[in-house]
Amino acid sequence: MIEFRDVSLSYGYNVVLDKLNFKAQFHEKIAILGASGEGKTTILRLILGLVRPDEGKIFIDGQDITELSESELRDVRMKFSIVFQEGALFDSMNVYENVAFCLREYTRYPEDKIEKRVRELLNRLGIEDAVYLMPEELSGGMQRRVAIARSLAGCDPEMMLYDEATTGLDPLTADNICNLIKELSTGEPPDRMGFIIVTHKVTDAAKVAGRFIYIRKGNIIFDGDLVSLKKTEDAELRSFINELYFEYNETGR
Amino acid sequence: MLESFLKGVVIVFMRRSASLFGIILDRCDVIEKMNIKENIAGLQDFYILSIKAPLGIFRRPFYFRETIEQMDYMGTGSVFIVFLVSLFIGMALSLQISAELSKLGLKMYTGKIVGVSIIREIGPVSIALSFAGRVGSGMASEIGSMVLGHQVDIMRVHGVNPLKKLVTPRVVSAIFMLPVLTVIGDAVSLFGGYYISVFVSHQSASFYWSQIRDIMDFKNLFSGILKPFMFGYLIACISCYMGLSTKGGARGLRRATTSAVVLSTIMIIISDFMMTRILLFVLGETV
Repeated sequence: MIEFRDVSLSYGYNVVLDKLNFKAQFHEKIAILGASGEGKTTILRLILGLVRPDEGKIFIDGQDITELSESELRDVRMKFSIVFQEGALFDSMNVYENVAFCLREYTRYPEDKIEKRVRELLNRLGIEDAVYLMPEELSGGMQRRVAIARSLAGCDPEMMLYDEATTGLDPLTADNICNLIKELSTGEPPDRMGFIIVTHKVTDAAKVAGRFIYIRKGNIIFDGDLVSLKKTEDAELRSFINELYFEYNETGR
Repeated sequence: MLESFLKGVVIVFMRRSASLFGIILDRCDVIEKMNIKENIAGLQDFYILSIKAPLGIFRRPFYFRETIEQMDYMGTGSVFIVFLVSLFIGMALSLQISAELSKLGLKMYTGKIVGVSIIREIGPVSIALSFAGRVGSGMASEIGSMVLGHQVDIMRVHGVNPLKKLVTPRVVSAIFMLPVLTVIGDAVSLFGGYYISVFVSHQSASFYWSQIRDIMDFKNLFSGILKPFMFGYLIACISCYMGLSTKGGARGLRRATTSAVVLSTIMIIISDFMMTRILLFVLGETV
């Protein structure tokens, strides 16, 4: 379980998170919504211990990770895997090497076993033809797929973290990525691999998530399911999710 | 009795100083306080990086492929620029010294002065400065763009230590490749000096080389070869640190790259002076 307890973080004068509190189970499908610069990505980075809060505690499975050293954080990070915006692929490596990265670093598998695992993942994600392409030769959607393949290759994460996974993609490709995210999180709780998706694309979030958290000025303004999200009284939030009303009205739902 | 009294005085003085320092900090503007904190933290991070990076070669995992790649980039890739810089420095130095010594009727000693200057001072420093410009900026911008593109975060998330994977191969490569480049550069400079002395200043070629042979003693060679090891270490540590501390998008990357080159340049010149002073003392040479 993830627990944020009075977590505050500032970058200079800019208060990003202000005494933030929330709890999440690993099997949950959570979307963190908010405008740009509201600290959505920072939450993911805090969960992974990539940044430390100025104040407050973060507990992962009951363990306070704010005081852990980099080597102690390794075990905590193994519970998660992250897909950054734009994929964050290693641009000096081809697709195969990117996906094999964790296997080569972490395991002492022979090369044939690594190759088998990489090809299996690329097949599963439908990018087997791109195996020897360099990241700059891939489309945005393919880059995200490779990033997802890489994040699944090395470890068996309990929860996936997606940072703007569909941002900058055309609607069709974004839809494909959403389907992939859903596919990866099938099954019944508590065995299901959950995810936290950080996005400002409300319609994409609505396709995949079951719980929605809206952040404004470092605080949680809304935390609930889709039905209550659509019924929110908060004018700014209503304006933020306006797209959602439009889409649902258009489709007659 | 006196000892305990003095101890007491020292403790009171230290406490007063600490509290005074605390008051000053509290009263400072918030930004300044933050800058002081950030600078101290940054300095600490730099020391940790510069100690841990070279020690990384003694602990698993070993990144041989990355180290060889970096050696190729730093060494082979820098040969041409080192050749050009060294050739013209050697020629310019020979011209200037010949002109001055001609006034005294001593131009036959051009080789000796050119040789000592190149091997002990100008060679190591000029090649280190070229190296900082080409390789230092490259290291800072490459690592910086990896930081901004979250590639370093991905490494950390997957349990890979960026210090070992990115910094150690670069520091080790710089420590080994800069001395090699310095030897090549010194040789090219001496040939540049030879060309000017013999074909422009019309001096004896054999006398020029005999003077170069004379100055090739342990003291001169040791001084000339020791400095590049230190310069390589400093350039790599500073550039990698600047790269890893990049923040703030394209402007941040520009700042990191500029800082890497500027700081490396300053440190090369300061450390050159300090090493020259120490080496003169250690080798028993009087000033």
